[in-house]
Amino acid sequence: MKELKHLIYFENLLEDANNELVRKAEAEGAIAIGYTCFHAPEVLLNLGSCFSVRLRAPHTNSMELATYYMANNSCEFSRALLERALEGNYSFLHAVAGVDVCEANNRAIENMEIMHMQGEDKEKFFYCNLDIPYSDDEDCVEHIREQISRKILKPLRENYGVDTSDAAIRAAVREHNEICRILTEIGELRKLDCPPVTGYEFAVLVLVSYTCPKRLILPLLQETLEEIKARQVDPEKNYWVRVAVVGSEIDDPNLIRLIESCGALVVADRFCYGSFPGRQEIVLTEQEDALTQVCRWYLQNTECPRQSALHRVKYRNDHVAQLVREFKADGAIYEQMKFCTYWSYERVIANQIMPRDYGIQILSIDRPYIVGQSGQLRTRVQAFVESIEMKKLRAAQKEEK
Amino acid sequence: MAYDPKTGKGLGRFYDANHRAFRKREWRGFRDTLYDFFRWLCLYGFMAVKLGCHPILMVKAMLRYRWMVSYLTAAHMVDRHTMGLRGKELRYAHNQFFSVLHNSVLGVRDIIVRDENLRPHSKRAAKLRENTVMFDEMTPHLIMMGFPTVKWIDIAMFAIGLPSEVDQNASMYYIDAMEHLGLPADVCPEPAAESGCAVVDDYPRVGKCYFTSSMPCDGAISQTNIMTRHFKDLPSFQITPPQRVNEPEVQTYAVKNLKKGIAFLEQQFNVKWDWDAFWKNAEMYNESSRCMIEKWDVNCTDYPQVCGAALALQREYEFMAAACMDEFMLKTDRRVTKMMLKGYEQDKSADANKPKYRCIVWACPAHYYTNFTYWTQHCWGVTCVNDMEAMLSYQPITIGDKDQALADLVRCYEKMMMRSHTNGGYVNLLDECWKMCEKFNVNIVVMYDHVSCKNVGGLHGLFEDQARERGIHLIWIPHDVMDPRTVSRREMREAFNQYMITVLREEPLDPSLLDYEDARSW
Repeated sequence: MKELKHLIYFENLLEDANNELVRKAEAEGAIAIGYTCFHAPEVLLNLGSCFSVRLRAPHTNSMELATYYMANNSCEFSRALLERALEGNYSFLHAVAGVDVCEANNRAIENMEIMHMQGEDKEKFFYCNLDIPYSDDEDCVEHIREQISRKILKPLRENYGVDTSDAAIRAAVREHNEICRILTEIGELRKLDCPPVTGYEFAVLVLVSYTCPKRLILPLLQETLEEIKARQVDPEKNYWVRVAVVGSEIDDPNLIRLIESCGALVVADRFCYGSFPGRQEIVLTEQEDALTQVCRWYLQNTECPRQSALHRVKYRNDHVAQLVREFKADGAIYEQMKFCTYWSYERVIANQIMPRDYGIQILSIDRPYIVGQSGQLRTRVQAFVESIEMKKLRAAQKEEK
Repeated sequence: MAYDPKTGKGLGRFYDANHRAFRKREWRGFRDTLYDFFRWLCLYGFMAVKLGCHPILMVKAMLRYRWMVSYLTAAHMVDRHTMGLRGKELRYAHNQFFSVLHNSVLGVRDIIVRDENLRPHSKRAAKLRENTVMFDEMTPHLIMMGFPTVKWIDIAMFAIGLPSEVDQNASMYYIDAMEHLGLPADVCPEPAAESGCAVVDDYPRVGKCYFTSSMPCDGAISQTNIMTRHFKDLPSFQITPPQRVNEPEVQTYAVKNLKKGIAFLEQQFNVKWDWDAFWKNAEMYNESSRCMIEKWDVNCTDYPQVCGAALALQREYEFMAAACMDEFMLKTDRRVTKMMLKGYEQDKSADANKPKYRCIVWACPAHYYTNFTYWTQHCWGVTCVNDMEAMLSYQPITIGDKDQALADLVRCYEKMMMRSHTNGGYVNLLDECWKMCEKFNVNIVVMYDHVSCKNVGGLHGLFEDQARERGIHLIWIPHDVMDPRTVSRREMREAFNQYMITVLREEPLDPSLLDYEDARSW
């Protein structure tokens, strides 16, 4: 397939958290708010002149400083963020919307706060740690609504004069939905036998939508959608199997590239920084205030294994099965960031349940933050691809007989 | 160095690298030895009376559950903690530990008489089960204060928590079971062992429903997924107190959540929350907390009395296992408090010897080495005057005001063991540590470096930096909670020795304790 027009530009945007579009928006007076987790409602970080930047640490090498501060058994994603913060790379931010969801992420943000990673002369800067409930009932919605009102909207209003009214929230949701519509439309094309977009390309598109100001990235994504729709696909399949990738943070599209280089086309991305969840439209009604509806949406759509109520566990498993079915995947790759406690357990459960109860073949891996060209990971994915192929062959042989 | 009964030195000689038990019992002088032996008899006598009357069930339980055998070594656990103690210190420790084991023995009895695995066809057992709720280890049972007619049993505490403190080898099988399923070895062994126990079906089935929580850490939350799946045929409820517990705004949600838990129990057992019983039990909680605070206050002085694990373990079990509703434990509290105040007055008037060094223990301790601080005391003269694990909920429950009482009860949940410091932000863990150093007048912190704990580990560097700024000796002691294969007791001691020798330039008080092998010991 012909390369996408803006792909290299998008890749360049992912080279640095403080990328060209972020700098441009800030130069125009916009307020950058960093966040790390789905539970910090992205859409509310994009009110008025604010824009959200989901934090990443591209090109991480050494994490020595962060390892000193957080110990070597802490999640590498969190350590990489802290390392980058200690190096001063997030000093362009005006606030950090943290969440008390997992220990490592929470401690990383706390370390940043204690060590004043925002830099000098930033009196208006604020950190917050949202208390996220463990379920999704109406008490939980009310609780998170109070948290967000007090810890995000109030300081935005008071420190930066941001309009946090119902109308402003609805406007932010409209813009957010526009991005989601584009990405969903592109994502839907992956259901085709020969999709006009690769998993890697899609990961890049989703990532830029998380890390760049919405207003500036929107026209480029729109243009890319049109380009993909008109894209000439290769006549022959250029993959052996189709897989859904499920798990914790993947903020490096090179991991997807690595998987695809082994012959597994990534057709569904159900991981943190992926499109499921996070790139689905938020449908608001007029009957209820927008803030409550947004809070409810995030609680009901989270896929974090931290939500341990039984119905949430079932929701997660069902959703993976649904994605596998809808995107015609041959299997799922469950991956976790090394040292993530939640995903360690979720993988163990999935390893037993997905093949047994849902008939889905899975590969279960843990991985470092810096994947690079990991030979070990490549071997495991290759073996998984082969095992699926063998199964397909055997099934075909059985049918013939 | 041979053991000298007069000085109490040479305690290391009691350990035998090739045997689980001590070489022999310690001679502490006539009175103390007699007292010690009397206590030993009391413990086994109590066990014989309470459990011996169910000989068949006990044998069946031993054959059915791997963890049950560990209880046979309960007396050795007490011996480990009382080794080297004399006079009033020996008496405090024996009283405190006996109250813990008293509660546990009754708990084991309650388990075996109603366990479906042991008595699948017994109508009596079934009837007992109909009136029992099973709890998760890390879920305080204080909610039962308002349900006097319903029995509760903490299955994970009896299967995993306590056995791992009695016998260092108790949990390894369960940890391995989980790792065999693919659980990475870097997660905390405690929830891993609890999950493993479910996976190998080693939990008793003693109730009609299961009550769990989201506390105190990521591992415990994940373990809940496995446990509720294990008991999926039973109704279950997960109580989920908020994380940022220092914020008054979160309490509204917390109270609502607690009320849902109450409604769940009311529905399961067809009973109503009993306020009269609640007030009575809340009084007991308040009194036990007052006793605890008195112990802390005395330990702030130059003459600390109830120190080390005798202080910490008893409070942990009183709060976590007994929910402060155990009359015997409260009686012990009263007795020990009285003895302690008398002991303090005696020491003060006699200007008795003060501890050479004072320390507090911070972060999650090793279950397999609960007597570590006794070792620091005997080997290096470092006396532990308080322990983070004992500094759990102590604020009183308001009596008479129903709304306020529920808010206070929620507060107890939020400030449960470990969670009181590891949740709610760095203020509760980091800043609180320095406050406690000041309060207890210590400049040594035995910092348990639980190698699988991502929570405390996340503030590792800041602890180092701030301790240095404050001139506090932070001695990191690595351990892996329930898995002595990762860091053995000997390695834990070595970490302490290194610091005392190289930084404080100290000589051991008892050189026989400097290095000995106890990997096989219980």
